[in-house]
Amino acid sequence: MLRAPVMPLPPRRSQYGVAPELVRKRAAELPDMVSVLVRDLFPDAAPVIYPGENGLEMIREATRKQMEKVDLSMIKPGDSVNVLGSHHGFTLLGGAPYAEMLRTIRDVVRERTGCTDIRLRVGVGLRFRESEEYIKAFGLDEYYEGKAAGVAPVDEGVAIETEIGTLYGIKKIYDARWIIHAHNSDVREVHFHRQVDRAVKPFGMSYARIETRSTYHQNLGPRAANFVARAIFDSPFVQEKFACAVFLMMSPSGVVGVDADNDLYALNDRVTYLGCRDYGKMMTLLGEIDEAITILDFPSPVPYVFAAGVIFANFAGANRDLFDLDDPLPPYTWYTEAFYGEDGRPLIEGVPPVNPAIKVVIHNYAWGGYPSAFFTEHIPTIVVGREQAELLNRDPQNISYTKHTLLADDLDTAVRFAKRVAGTDKILAFDGASGALNVSRSLGEYLLQKAPLVSRRVDDELLPKWLKQRGIDPSRFKIR
Amino acid sequence: MRAVTLYAVVDVDKCKGCTRCERVCPVLAIKVENKKAVVDPENCLGCANCEQRCPEMAITMAPLEQSRVVQESLAGVDMAAVIDLCRRAHLHPKQIICYCTATRAEEVAAAILKGAKSPEEISRRTGVRTGCKVECIQPVLRLLHAAGIAPERPARGYQWYGLTPTVWDIPEEVKKKYAQRGFYFDEDRKLLDSLVGAGEKGGE
Repeated sequence: MLRAPVMPLPPRRSQYGVAPELVRKRAAELPDMVSVLVRDLFPDAAPVIYPGENGLEMIREATRKQMEKVDLSMIKPGDSVNVLGSHHGFTLLGGAPYAEMLRTIRDVVRERTGCTDIRLRVGVGLRFRESEEYIKAFGLDEYYEGKAAGVAPVDEGVAIETEIGTLYGIKKIYDARWIIHAHNSDVREVHFHRQVDRAVKPFGMSYARIETRSTYHQNLGPRAANFVARAIFDSPFVQEKFACAVFLMMSPSGVVGVDADNDLYALNDRVTYLGCRDYGKMMTLLGEIDEAITILDFPSPVPYVFAAGVIFANFAGANRDLFDLDDPLPPYTWYTEAFYGEDGRPLIEGVPPVNPAIKVVIHNYAWGGYPSAFFTEHIPTIVVGREQAELLNRDPQNISYTKHTLLADDLDTAVRFAKRVAGTDKILAFDGASGALNVSRSLGEYLLQKAPLVSRRVDDELLPKWLKQRGIDPSRFKIR
Repeated sequence: MRAVTLYAVVDVDKCKGCTRCERVCPVLAIKVENKKAVVDPENCLGCANCEQRCPEMAITMAPLEQSRVVQESLAGVDMAAVIDLCRRAHLHPKQIICYCTATRAEEVAAAILKGAKSPEEISRRTGVRTGCKVECIQPVLRLLHAAGIAPERPARGYQWYGLTPTVWDIPEEVKKKYAQRGFYFDEDRKLLDSLVGAGEKGGE
């Protein structure tokens, strides 16, 4: 069941990464690399609608079909509607499926309501022009008739009164009569949100001002953080505007469907269940890896590069069960980072170390625009290419990133050196390969051997516990 | 501690004087004068907020010929007062509060004790809020609040709006209401309290 490597999507031209022509070799092109398909690891993985032979038509069809069950009667022809997106959706499978969902939402709203003032507002993480880049790349401004805009957390704010006090949103997110929350179910930052209210999170992040995001990451704690999202969403200010949510439903294999609902919490329960089930298996499997050289090779900042739907930040914490809410502090979160003293030792007992299975990281291709020095302080890291090191050195969020890194001229040199010092030939590439993990042959065989046991353990033991911790009755969902 | 390696440069032909740059600068180092943005190179910390939000793409970041370091020295500061201020803000003096610059709470507390009265002044002295420009505003406001300072927002600015709730403020009824939905308020409070109460070099 080891197959030829799946070639990842090409590098993306962006102000946050090196020029695509400077990415001279991909991890998938290394000798001895193979791929392991998600469905070979977990034969019960849900079937995908994308990628597939019908391409984006499947996304359009699924979005239309799901939106049929949503009530849009509150939207009148003379009203304004903001379709709210996030940069994150464009990092999934190259961004085309998410862009197609956003186009379809506009078409459906226009057809069913007669409303013509439909705007697209796309939030960002810490790269304030990233969404503008995606809007341009996918022609969304033309599609939304000049009414598409990227918004940033430093833009003009609006105070939102919540049941825990005043929080702040981005004014341009809420400057319409109605909002449609257009997101995705990709688990991504489970270290931050712990798969608690995953579907609600953008209200405390992509759509939120700096004060709210800082509340999330500094004021509440690692398991209470995402409450800011619920507090904002439940506020009268937001409830008065909320029309519905439309989600691209993801799994480690790809897009498994589209879901839509007027009740965000009903959708949230489905997202929670599927996320725990599908991503839980992949993350638990990655936690079984005993040693590996990790290659970052994807157009996103260091923590956000993908391997079978799991981001590197999750692998950095895969020595702990990130879904288990009885475990307070993941090996990587900003709370964890704050807990380390100047001498590099934790200030309190019980701070879990970064996953010791990661012997060396090779930074072949990953962007700046996110504070990532924590990773190079904790894991031996080799940056490939002087241009990439210089890009990071110029990044205000990564001024000390290369303080702790080695520099290699090319990927082959970096891999040779990493294998020698790490004493392992197990390689895991975070390159966003669709529906598969690109790995060295030795690691591929290891994962195939471990997967059946992991699958049983998640189904029988972990999934029921995770759902119970989140107040979700598993019997409500069809167990495969 | 913040190493400053860049500064903002305005293309006056492109600048339309919209004041967006002025409203987002965390150190008030760019101002619109006579309908054109003007950078104060002495105070610009190269955070690129203006470059990232300029609607006309009129600002670029250029490398400084000689990089410089911004850091508030702890020398001569009453360390007992620093520790006390941090604890009143529910922070451990040695904990990092700015992930981009690795600035610790004690450095910000020292800046306040030495006279900084606003987030902007604190940023100029320590470099906090000049990396990602997002995540560290609350601990800065918490430390000012704990020092009894109510800073004034920059006029017409979007730099910051206000102090927000902490885990120490969550009402009991809210905790009770969401106890079954995976929010661990009291447990997280206990965890953060254990950090705040830990000794200066770690441990109790």
